[in-house]
Amino acid sequence: MVVGEVPEGLDLLVVGGGPGGYTAALRAARLGRQVTLVDEAGAAGVGGVCLRTGCIPSKALIEMAETVHRAMAWTRTGPVDLARFQGFKEQIVRQLGDDVRRQLDEAGVRVLQGRFCFTRPGQGAVQREDGGPSRFVEFKDVILATGSRAVELDALRLDGEQVIDSTGALALAALPSKLAVIGGGCVGVELGTAFAKLGAHVTIIEALDRLLPALPATVAHPVQRRLAVLGVEVLLEARVSGFDGDRLKVETLRGLEEVEAALVIVAVGRRPNSDHLGLELIGVRPSVGGMLDVAKDRRIAPHVAAIGDLTPGPALAHKAMAEAEVAADALCGRPAAFDPAAIPAVVFGDPEVAVAGLSAEDARAIGITVRVVAMPLRASGRAATMGATEGFARLVIDTGTDAVVGAQIAGPHAAELISAPVLAIEMAASPADLAGTIHPHPTISELLAEAAGRP
Amino acid sequence: MSRNLEFCLPDVGEGLGEGEIVAWRVGVGDRVVRDQVLVEVETDKSIVELPSPSEGVIAELGGKPGDILPVGAVLVVMTVAGGSPGTSPDAPPQRVLASPATRKLAVELGVDLARVRGSGPGGRVRKEDVLTAAAPEPSPPAAPTFSERGVRVVPARKSTCGEADGEGTVERVPLRGVRRRVAQTMTRAWQQIPHITDFREVDATRLVAARLRLRDRLGPEFTYLPLFIAAVAAALGRHRALNASLDAEAETITYHRGCHIGIAIATDDGLIVPVLHDADRKSLAQIAVECSTLTQAARSRAVTAEQTMGGTFTITNFGSYGGWLGTPVIRPPEAGIAGFGRIHDAVIPVESVPAVRALLPMVVAADHRLVDGDALGRFAADLAELLADPVLLLA
Repeated sequence: MVVGEVPEGLDLLVVGGGPGGYTAALRAARLGRQVTLVDEAGAAGVGGVCLRTGCIPSKALIEMAETVHRAMAWTRTGPVDLARFQGFKEQIVRQLGDDVRRQLDEAGVRVLQGRFCFTRPGQGAVQREDGGPSRFVEFKDVILATGSRAVELDALRLDGEQVIDSTGALALAALPSKLAVIGGGCVGVELGTAFAKLGAHVTIIEALDRLLPALPATVAHPVQRRLAVLGVEVLLEARVSGFDGDRLKVETLRGLEEVEAALVIVAVGRRPNSDHLGLELIGVRPSVGGMLDVAKDRRIAPHVAAIGDLTPGPALAHKAMAEAEVAADALCGRPAAFDPAAIPAVVFGDPEVAVAGLSAEDARAIGITVRVVAMPLRASGRAATMGATEGFARLVIDTGTDAVVGAQIAGPHAAELISAPVLAIEMAASPADLAGTIHPHPTISELLAEAAGRP
Repeated sequence: MSRNLEFCLPDVGEGLGEGEIVAWRVGVGDRVVRDQVLVEVETDKSIVELPSPSEGVIAELGGKPGDILPVGAVLVVMTVAGGSPGTSPDAPPQRVLASPATRKLAVELGVDLARVRGSGPGGRVRKEDVLTAAAPEPSPPAAPTFSERGVRVVPARKSTCGEADGEGTVERVPLRGVRRRVAQTMTRAWQQIPHITDFREVDATRLVAARLRLRDRLGPEFTYLPLFIAAVAAALGRHRALNASLDAEAETITYHRGCHIGIAIATDDGLIVPVLHDADRKSLAQIAVECSTLTQAARSRAVTAEQTMGGTFTITNFGSYGGWLGTPVIRPPEAGIAGFGRIHDAVIPVESVPAVRALLPMVVAADHRLVDGDALGRFAADLAELLADPVLLLA
């Protein structure tokens, strides 16, 4: 800090306007704190990657692609107008962003624009990249929620034209004929599937030996089969070594291969935004990979909490939002702990897949004896009417306690369906509880009750 | 085949009833080898590292840092290879079955779910179980209800708004370690022992001279403390009522044959009292060496349990705080305690003429159940005489 700068006194500061940040801000404001939220993009940045350039826009694209794909299957009409899609997406993003801004405003949360970094414990600077004046602030408590950013590849730098990240992909105004997606994780699979459904020829290139490596293999299988049906090429155990504008050079187990592509989408993971926070000035050192180790109440120091992608665990908005409540409570003097039995994870691929709690492999690895009960999607009449055949509903049951400890669903609306098993896991429901709960007919949710009733 | 091995908190020092978990060196799921340090445990006087009794995988930790476990409580459950054929392996411990609302309540009330007996189907912990565990009266001592941040949460105060604590007006911390033990001992002393106290001032001119001579012989570190200890030990030899213990319940009096003198030492964590054993049978030089060892060990929190056990009488030094004197409190089950103030020059009548002499303020307190006023007075007079004329220590 410059000598003579007088810091502005704040009560509780939240750094980052994403789902974690704004949830924490709203919670702390409800608990009576004077909250200030700082985001690099100011009020326009509220909603973060998730709302503005990530989950929400991609779901819009996926939804449209599915609709178009099914319509085309019936009507055999031509390709889709992505420019019109951009208007549709912008409207959703604006409407949802406005809603969050209104909530923050009503809660009395002041929003500042700029990049925050500590100058010493309890003090920091908010610097504007647009050259606007920097502020110096002093605060009682701070919640760090700066999220993560997409990792770049050394062999393939983003150019914003032909080599783009997921944000760029969701801003496309025209559909490329041939595109390659580097990374077979959840973002790569979602985007690859959607663009394939819109009519592009898609190749997905993954370094590991299967798609969706972060999820149990059981849910990756139907996704991989459907991608083949959709005409998507999948190269596994493959690494990109270069791109000449028309062709990607890919090293595979078979040797060097070339993949034709007019556009390359890089989606190879994310890295915590912990490097510009000045954490060394408060004596905090991120672990390898930039993660911040937190206590159960999300604290990293007596008056500093960290949530969301900055902290270990899956980089998911709903995890960040759940942590946000805990962090706000803890810094407001209320005992709190982040201790969920299950954090659901969903991939809006085809089929949609969702997992929660322990997989059978997880359970066995920690010495829990389990049995797995499952029903195939083909057993569902409702799925048949939707033309959906690839999928299942599986439950993992701890035989010792007779409690549901995990669930995996693949099929239409799996992301919606997973909440019932998540509740079952959190409530330590027994399979008999699930089987004895009346599910509506004809629905895909029935499969869960049927699976639970199996011996 | 594997089986579960329960490693219970051993008696790390003779007669200690409990230990506080200071820090875990291992976590659940860690593979450990025999003799690998598992945990640091603080007894009332020292911190000890407990090694693993076996090779295996840590399945469960018996508490979190700050928890106080009674001796014999399960400290660690580990899965070890082997096990007799035919016995089914115990299900390893896992997540307690409880709903999110129950979990939240437990955190708010500072209840460790792992220690709550669940009354629901299959041992599921219900809200009522948490409330019962949090109730202040029937909760067993083995289930301390402290939140992770070390704030004691009073269950009755289920406020819906932020507590004053959050605003920083007060800070509540758990009573732990040395402070806790001092609090327990002093409560017992104040509630059970009727104190009588004798104050006097001793002409310490000869004591000062003796100490200077001894310092020349024994080294610059030689303080008054070894002289006090030797004098107290000598006086106790003639007044066994002050070197005794009363068991009020059994209605017996124990007279100790040896003089084991506790030395009250202030540390950053609180009062620690190492014991100099058999002071009556040791030379001044020996006492001086042991004093310095014990003092340093206490200040660095390295005293062993044995070094703090078996005291029969205690000495405390008021002089180091600069005050004149204070009222010492007896450490049960001892029957007496002596305190010494700062030696200072004063004008007193000597043979009817004002003279400047070194004065030592001295106090002795005794348990009136065992010692009457005249007996205390005689002991104090003897002690004063030994200090006024330390050559008598040779007698």
